Amino acid sequence: MNFSDETVMAYADGELDGATRAAVEAAMASDPQLAQRVARHRALRGRLHGALDPVLDEPVPQRLLASVQGAPAQRRAGKTPLQHKAAPRWSWPQWGAIAASLVGGALLGPLLWRTPAGAVHVSRDGQVLASGALARALTEQLASNQPPGAPVQIGVSFRARNGDYCRTFVLRDESALAGLACRAHQAWRLEVLAHGPAPPAAAAGYRPAGSALPASVTHTLDELIAGEPLDAGAEAAARARGWQP
Amino acid sequence: MRAAPQELREALVALLPRLRRFARALARDAHDADDLVQIAVERALTRAAQLRPDAPLSSWMFGIVRNAWLDELRARGRRARLFAPEESAEQIGDASQGAHADLLAVQEALARLPEEQRAAVALVLIEGLSYKEAAHIMEVPIGTLTSRLARGREALQEMLGETTGALR
Repeated sequence: MNFSDETVMAYADGELDGATRAAVEAAMASDPQLAQRVARHRALRGRLHGALDPVLDEPVPQRLLASVQGAPAQRRAGKTPLQHKAAPRWSWPQWGAIAASLVGGALLGPLLWRTPAGAVHVSRDGQVLASGALARALTEQLASNQPPGAPVQIGVSFRARNGDYCRTFVLRDESALAGLACRAHQAWRLEVLAHGPAPPAAAAGYRPAGSALPASVTHTLDELIAGEPLDAGAEAAARARGWQP
Repeated sequence: MRAAPQELREALVALLPRLRRFARALARDAHDADDLVQIAVERALTRAAQLRPDAPLSSWMFGIVRNAWLDELRARGRRARLFAPEESAEQIGDASQGAHADLLAVQEALARLPEEQRAAVALVLIEGLSYKEAAHIMEVPIGTLTSRLARGREALQEMLGETTGALR
């Protein structure tokens, strides 16, 4: 019986079903050439293992162990092609994925994530919280009276059904991220973070509040909101109360 | 249950030796290979939520390592597609060489394979994955995987010679 190269290969790799395997084995008993073809495949596998398996016994470099523990990216010294590549850092797009994944109670645990903008961090109990300029803007900036060129654009402020105050925002940097945060326990907890449309050119100036929010943000807004967004007076009053319900 | 971060980290530590071996098969240079592993670990930690609870961590990680390698190849551009210079395009490997020389010969041969053949060989012959698992990681049908594997094998056997016993 004549077996194709792929069948012989699959036999040598243990990939054949019982009947075909038995047919190959029966043929091998009387066909030394077939047996040799199988042996050749197995010999190559053995040779590759012989060459590369010693890697398994090498001590794992400290920097790899550190990276598993989430240590800051540290590349080896010296110039190499890979080193010129940007070290993976917490980028905003990754942030969007993580933050989105956290909504709904999927907690990543006591990790302190860093972001380039320093705008978001994860608390010890796994909540994604605003920090830095984003937190300040959420606390202090009024949607009705925003400084031109502010790094954070507040969209709408509203009360959620549970009574908490929540606000939508757009980051006016190259990330063009938009999100929705609610005030709870003296912090702004992110409910959703998503990619917005491309930011306007610097010269294009003001973008109307509430417009151009990603669908996931408006969807979350629709789910959370009780009644109507706050008007300018109610927003200022809420700020004066420190966004306490 | 979603893998808790600490469990994921422990599983990743246990997997590091295999990831290093796999990366070494792809990238040849030991430092480049470790960079790939490091990039893959960092990516994995940012994407922990994407890990399906029922999917083997190893397959997921091999896929991330391979994608990191593809990114790297693209970044290096055409020049660094790791085709060997003409003058050394003959048999490499010699039964009289020691283990380290054999590693170099095998890596040299692997480096000459087209990337998709190298990945197929590394996943199936070195990492011992099934065709199905390897095809899944490479995001190709099984038929594509087996033909890449067959071609990669053939090329390796020609480059490395028949130094391990079997006759042509």
